[in-house]
Amino acid sequence: MASTRNNILKVIEEVKLLSPSAVRLLAVASREDHDLKDIVRVIKHDAALTAKTLQLVNSAAFSLQSKISDLERAITYSGENFLISLVMTEAADMIYDCDLAGYDGHKGGLWDHNLLTALAAKRIAALSKEPVNTNIAYTGGLLHDLGKAIISDFLKGSLTQLLASLEKGEMPDYAGAEEKILGIDHTQAGYALACHWNLPEPLASAMRYHHEPAKAPKEYRSLVYAVHLGDMVAMMTGRDTGADAMRYQLDDNYIDFIKITENDLAQIILDTDSDFCTLKESMEEQPGI
Amino acid sequence: MAVILIHPKTRVVGMVHIALPESTLNPAKAQDKPGYFADTGIPALIREMMALGCSGGPKQMVAKIAGGAKIMDPNNIFNIGTRNVLAIKKILWKYGVSPRTEDIGGTMSRTVTVSARNGRVILSSPGKEEWRL
Repeated sequence: MASTRNNILKVIEEVKLLSPSAVRLLAVASREDHDLKDIVRVIKHDAALTAKTLQLVNSAAFSLQSKISDLERAITYSGENFLISLVMTEAADMIYDCDLAGYDGHKGGLWDHNLLTALAAKRIAALSKEPVNTNIAYTGGLLHDLGKAIISDFLKGSLTQLLASLEKGEMPDYAGAEEKILGIDHTQAGYALACHWNLPEPLASAMRYHHEPAKAPKEYRSLVYAVHLGDMVAMMTGRDTGADAMRYQLDDNYIDFIKITENDLAQIILDTDSDFCTLKESMEEQPGI
Repeated sequence: MAVILIHPKTRVVGMVHIALPESTLNPAKAQDKPGYFADTGIPALIREMMALGCSGGPKQMVAKIAGGAKIMDPNNIFNIGTRNVLAIKKILWKYGVSPRTEDIGGTMSRTVTVSARNGRVILSSPGKEEWRL
């Protein structure tokens, strides 16, 4: 088991690094006090990203009456979340393209799950008792399950054993079963990837603690609870990653961090579904995405 | 959650995928996509099937339900699966129909396939063999 864990950590060390622009964009977007001008400053130094952003905003999906050639206007129009999704799709395509065979998942399932979690986490973060930057919650959601792409191949062939162990109640949840088989679960693998990519601490915390939000560093705990609940919403609405769907525990202490009612949740499910369809449609119109 | 209605006489089969129990939350959405809610989805499905010639009304239909995976939430907010099951059963009951078979609750996602040819309902879940409802 220790050797499997070491092999997984070796795989992470070999994952292609994010582009410097992607790293800078995530760092800027993870600061509580960032604004749009900070985002513009990062993008304008990357010619390819500038071109892609302008191409995106001027595509049919945005139905503009006249073309936009100014980067700041283009970013204002597309929105920060859309831009981060675009950058991450391109920067980590080898991970998002993974078919999650070890989870009996399908190609594109991880991207859909992370995207829906991001959209839900953003809306849930707006209900946080402590102020949380909703855009950071979005990005945390977008990245939270990347560890699954890393460990998926190592889980191949263990699925029956893993599900049996869960059904016998030997493990509290799917992450526990992953750790029992591999010596590492997808949240730990995700955290190692976050370190390899030099991601900001709030995002690394969302990747590491989204199934154990109470263990997140105090300053990021509300944020991580938002991602934890966003993850639940994504699974509840069927945007899951395969065999692990619904096989995690809800941390019911969320109520101390997020002021959410039954009606709020139902409204979030409705709105997130609608946001998801719009965003997917716009991104699918982009060549190469 | 999936609600499947089968009218044996005409062999008309219908299915609706319900996400939430009540449409009062967003009547405009219910107008646009009635299947999203239990209280508008089931009546819409019955109407569509009757328009296809399912005579005798809903009492002549066989109902099957599947889904509603459980999330344990003592705060009673995230257990929508359980609320969906209750809402669906209540509405079917109002039509005088009770599910002939059901596969509900638990902690797994389910995919439902219905054969319009023979009315057979097949369930699947990642990592498991298919099974018949």
